[in-house]
Amino acid sequence: MEFLNLTFGQFAALFGAVGAFSVALYLLDRNRRKEIVSTLRFWIEPGKAAPVTRRSRIQQPLSLFLQLLGMLLLLLAIAEFQFGGSRNARRDHVLVLDTSAWMGASLPNRPNATLMDAARASALGWLRAVPSADRVLLVRADALATPATSWELDRRNVARAILESQPGATALNLSQSLQFASQMQRGSGSLPGEIVYAGPGRISAREANNMSLPRIPAFRVLAVDDNIENAGLRSVGARRSATDNGTWDILVRARNYGRKPRLVNVTLNFGNIPQGSRPIELPPGEEKEVAFNVHTRAAGILEARLYPRDAFPADNYAALELPELRSLHVVVYSDQPDALRPALASDSRVFAEFHPTAQYSSESGKDGSLVILHHFRPETRPQGNVLWIDPPLDKPPVAIQSRVEHPEGLRWMPDQPLTAGLRARDVQIDSSSVFAPSPKDIRLAEVNSGPIMVASVSDDGKTRSVVMGFDPFAGAMRYELTTPLLLANVLRWVAPDVFRDVDVGTQSAGAVAMPLVSNNGSVQVLTDSGTNLPYNVRDKSVEFFEGESARVRVIAGNSERVYSLTLPEMWDVKWTPPANVRRGIPAWNDSLRRNLDWWPFLAALGAAVLIGEWIAYGRYSPVRLRVVKPNLERAA
Amino acid sequence: MNEPLLDREFLERLERLTIHWQRSFNGLVGGHNRSRFAGGGQEFLDHRHFHDGDDLRAVNWRAYMRLDKMFLKMFQIEPRVPVRLLLDTSASMAAGSGEKFLFARRLAAALCYVGLVRLDTIQVLPFASHLREGKSSGGGRHRYRIAAEFLEALQPAGVTDFFTVVREFLNEYPQRGLVIVISDFLDDSGCEKALQYLADYGNELMLVQLWSDQDRTPPWTGEVDLHDAESGGHLRIQVDEDARRQYTASFDAFSAGIKEVALRNDGKYAGLPTSMPLEDAIFDTMVRARSIA
Repeated sequence: MEFLNLTFGQFAALFGAVGAFSVALYLLDRNRRKEIVSTLRFWIEPGKAAPVTRRSRIQQPLSLFLQLLGMLLLLLAIAEFQFGGSRNARRDHVLVLDTSAWMGASLPNRPNATLMDAARASALGWLRAVPSADRVLLVRADALATPATSWELDRRNVARAILESQPGATALNLSQSLQFASQMQRGSGSLPGEIVYAGPGRISAREANNMSLPRIPAFRVLAVDDNIENAGLRSVGARRSATDNGTWDILVRARNYGRKPRLVNVTLNFGNIPQGSRPIELPPGEEKEVAFNVHTRAAGILEARLYPRDAFPADNYAALELPELRSLHVVVYSDQPDALRPALASDSRVFAEFHPTAQYSSESGKDGSLVILHHFRPETRPQGNVLWIDPPLDKPPVAIQSRVEHPEGLRWMPDQPLTAGLRARDVQIDSSSVFAPSPKDIRLAEVNSGPIMVASVSDDGKTRSVVMGFDPFAGAMRYELTTPLLLANVLRWVAPDVFRDVDVGTQSAGAVAMPLVSNNGSVQVLTDSGTNLPYNVRDKSVEFFEGESARVRVIAGNSERVYSLTLPEMWDVKWTPPANVRRGIPAWNDSLRRNLDWWPFLAALGAAVLIGEWIAYGRYSPVRLRVVKPNLERAA
Repeated sequence: MNEPLLDREFLERLERLTIHWQRSFNGLVGGHNRSRFAGGGQEFLDHRHFHDGDDLRAVNWRAYMRLDKMFLKMFQIEPRVPVRLLLDTSASMAAGSGEKFLFARRLAAALCYVGLVRLDTIQVLPFASHLREGKSSGGGRHRYRIAAEFLEALQPAGVTDFFTVVREFLNEYPQRGLVIVISDFLDDSGCEKALQYLADYGNELMLVQLWSDQDRTPPWTGEVDLHDAESGGHLRIQVDEDARRQYTASFDAFSAGIKEVALRNDGKYAGLPTSMPLEDAIFDTMVRARSIA
């Protein structure tokens, strides 16, 4: 005899409370009926009715008995009363099926079958052994634990979900999956059955270091043998070369997951054109890197391959999309080009073109390039972005109020990107024009006499111009560090896309952590479709999760990183189950567990008893509703 | 505004009825029931010997010429008999949901209307422990409104005391006539003797006993706290099916006693449960009891 939902003590307490309440209600209802009658003379005649001697007395014991019996039956139904002990009671099992990326590896002795096939076969075997009265919940486990079914009695639904399970792109998070299974089992409402893990048990090093398995009374492992030799790519990174604008530095990292040393070849293709091949000797369980240079300014697909192919081909290939390498075209009109040439030649992303002022063309700057007018004011101003350096006093781009020699009190506006990082106050400027800017102009630098450097953006936002009242490439200032920094800021402000630091890399899907170069701006983590991924900034790195193969852009300040999450997330260590876990397919005797559900019958019987009692003894019984016809003959 | 006791359609149906009594009463000409007493009627009744003081206009002079004896012709009269309706307004009439009191007032209104249509004079006399001020109505159906308003204004109160009421009635109304008593007759000191006095003084009784279903067949079982509507006394008893059965038998015996008083004195009796429609009560039960025709 077993109460599945309640202990015997709980059941007895509950029934006692309900029964006492019912008896109290019964006594109150039946004993305090007060009626006003026309006369008492027919009652007080002897032999008509017995006066009450006790205040509380059960008048209709059968009615009370039926009420208590009805409630007892209903409570038994709620408690899911069953004959026999808890050993034979219905239980709820959770099957945790490993669907990590590693499950796509081929079996060593069966090349056409994968670890997933072996895990499916084990899971189906266990499912066949589960007693038919027990319920099963299937959880697919990779980096996330996802329930694939509800609590199912129908084995066909669970089997179909098992067969539909496929390897994912992430590594197994076993502790999270088991905690989820344990939580589901606690909330099921029935007796807990087994939690069964089917898979090889390969987990990441991070999880292995912080593993905290929940306490599971009945834990079974359906182990899958994965003694497989495998080497794979861990990551592929591409970074624009610091010395050559048309070159990408490629770094490929590979790891040997097997137990024997391996010699592998890493080959690189860009746009289906081989870029190189390097052999790597990989000791067991170790990683190595090889570097490549790819010369291209065009956008294209960079592919890395690892040879020879092995049992797990998913990590032998990686692809990433290299963006176009752009440069800024600068047209300089100056009669002293040598003063500007070193500064502009220092950055490979700048393509400078020098012309004497006499060859000025107003068409310059139309293609988005920057025009630098050095001590020169043309009759018609350029149509694009312009950097005015010490314009003449006659018809300047910004009204000049005075000309000062050796101005004092130089101040750089710290809140403007054009003067970011400029702190020097002792910069020696030989002479400068002091502007009388309009309210729309942005003040960048001031001396005691007034502003000496301003910037403006056109109303449509397409063109920008910067006006310096002084020449930073003349006099003592040309040797200051401020001068190249100021020019770099101007170039970056005019063409931010060109100067953005772009890193491209291939990583495995799952949890990704990217170090932040600068944390002074907002961070955006975008997918290819432009949707924002949730992220977390911790310890100067951005962390986000992507469970599938995708391309993700991380924009932080002036840097952009593009991640092609095409590599599967791999394991680091193999988890060893505790010694006390159950293993293999159990041999349950289903006939002992096939109990009949009594609660529907108990509930129906309880309801019938209560309804019958109400009809027979209720206040609105048909006996009381009957119209009594006068019996005149009898009265006569 | 309260709903009228009787609606127009029901009143129209009542117009074909007449209140009947069996006993002969002296009274003024103009009634509708024949009397065995001779009087100034139109229809010949009998002869008798002439006595001194008799009206010479009634002497049968033809018989005197033939027989040389003076015989007096007697004529049948149809006198106006006073109809007095004693209506119980004690608290017991309102016990339960008050259906008995409403039924009694509706029945009284119906009998008033029947009498007014036949040009009888009906005096409604409410009573409980004493005889209360009544209302006399006569002179045709157009006076029904007065009687109906009087009945509608009545309120149940007090303890029934038939003996006092009958004594006050006989002192107040010495002229004999038809006395209709509408009551539950539930007087703890008994009503049979008082009713007998009423009959012994020459009145014809028409006893209409009313009871609610609860009065005759108590619906309760188990422990019940009963409160008397008139005396305020209460009784906590335990009721079972046997007790209910005996209670009903006692009530029927009590009703039989009331009926016996009426029939023993050549009166009429009608027992009416309030669950019966008033139309059935008048056109069926009371007609069969020959109270009205």
